[in-house]
Amino acid sequence: MTDQQTIMAGAIAATGEEVAQMDRSAVEARVLAEITEDVRDVIGEEYAFDMDITMDTSFGDDLELESIEFVALADRLRERYGAAVDFVGFLATRDVDQVINMRIGEVVEFVVDSQSTPVTTGSI
Amino acid sequence: MSEIVANNVRLHVQRIGPRGAAGTGVPTVVMLHGMVMDNMSSFYLSLGTYLSDAGCDVICYDLRGHGRSERTPEGYQLADSLADLTGLLDTLGVDHPVHLVGNSYGATMALAYGLEHGERVASLTLIEPPFLLEGLGEEMARSLGQILAAMSDDEVEQWLQQAAGRVAGRATRSARRLLQETTIATDMLATPPFSTEALGRLAMPVLAVYGENSDIIGQAETLTSVVPDTTLVVLSHHTHMVLREATPYLRTLMRWWLLDDRATTARPDYVPLAARRFETPQWVTDMVPPPDLNTPRTAAAAESSGR
Repeated sequence: MTDQQTIMAGAIAATGEEVAQMDRSAVEARVLAEITEDVRDVIGEEYAFDMDITMDTSFGDDLELESIEFVALADRLRERYGAAVDFVGFLATRDVDQVINMRIGEVVEFVVDSQSTPVTTGSI
Repeated sequence: MSEIVANNVRLHVQRIGPRGAAGTGVPTVVMLHGMVMDNMSSFYLSLGTYLSDAGCDVICYDLRGHGRSERTPEGYQLADSLADLTGLLDTLGVDHPVHLVGNSYGATMALAYGLEHGERVASLTLIEPPFLLEGLGEEMARSLGQILAAMSDDEVEQWLQQAAGRVAGRATRSARRLLQETTIATDMLATPPFSTEALGRLAMPVLAVYGENSDIIGQAETLTSVVPDTTLVVLSHHTHMVLREATPYLRTLMRWWLLDDRATTARPDYVPLAARRFETPQWVTDMVPPPDLNTPRTAAAAESSGR
């Protein structure tokens, strides 16, 4: 095997292991962007548009979301993701304080897990 | 946002259907929240999503003037609340009897709805209902006056400006607008007394839940002595805020009430959590705000301005 072939083989082997992880990161980033859009829409105040919203942002401490705003957010997310994402079941296991103290990342991960389909990793 | 117009008022409604397909035998549950410092979220996040997940068709809505529903300048008499609910059921096409679950004023409203429209009600769950045979309107108006007084002084204004934080600030401002810009307080005064005779003929089963340490626990006995088919549950160590304080037990209790065969299944036992005791402050019972009511807020404001 030439050096060139070794490098190529290494690159291909890496995609086989990592493609699922890379896909998940990309999907998480997309879902985070979607949820961020709905959060800003629900809050509707200027500060929300300046804030850097990440996976670690909490609804209560960071965004200071009122519980009625969380209800409006859940409504939008149910509409956006449809029956594939069981938000009602997700919320049914948490009480009011647990919901308000959640990080956005927990919702993102739940959406991604609900939507995930078996990953096809190509031929190797 | 899910909005409908019912009885000429724009109402924010969240209907969360049962897990799985809807069919006959699925209970439809309508939740009625408390007055002024409340909205549908207290039910949606405690019992609403849970009961929907357990197999109920759940309807939560913000009462007129509350949450994300329209704040009309007037129309806050009990009769208006009942007409709003009839309009809501009609608009949603709900023509079978529903299970009403009310908290505080919402529970009083549920009981009144059961009396007026018994044919549309399958059962009543009354969580901490203010229930007086005499002077109910005066009592509710007095309670609102007390809230308004506690919200209207200069210190509160200072707190709102400097230290309240977004959530407490928005809730306080919203409640103050409702009390100052609408007829709700005077409309409450016009609440008619319950008729003992009519209550004695109430046909549907009633589940009444009170906190043992609630300021209105004394009213539970009158209720059970007058309403025939009443199951009374008194939760030790709990107050008027029992919906929030005892959510896990109320979820189990409501599941039993709505979905189990009550003839053959025993009511779930309530085991008080030793570590959590809830007491109603004396000033709430006396209905006289203490002079030091603002102390925590003043301290918070001082801390905030000192930063």
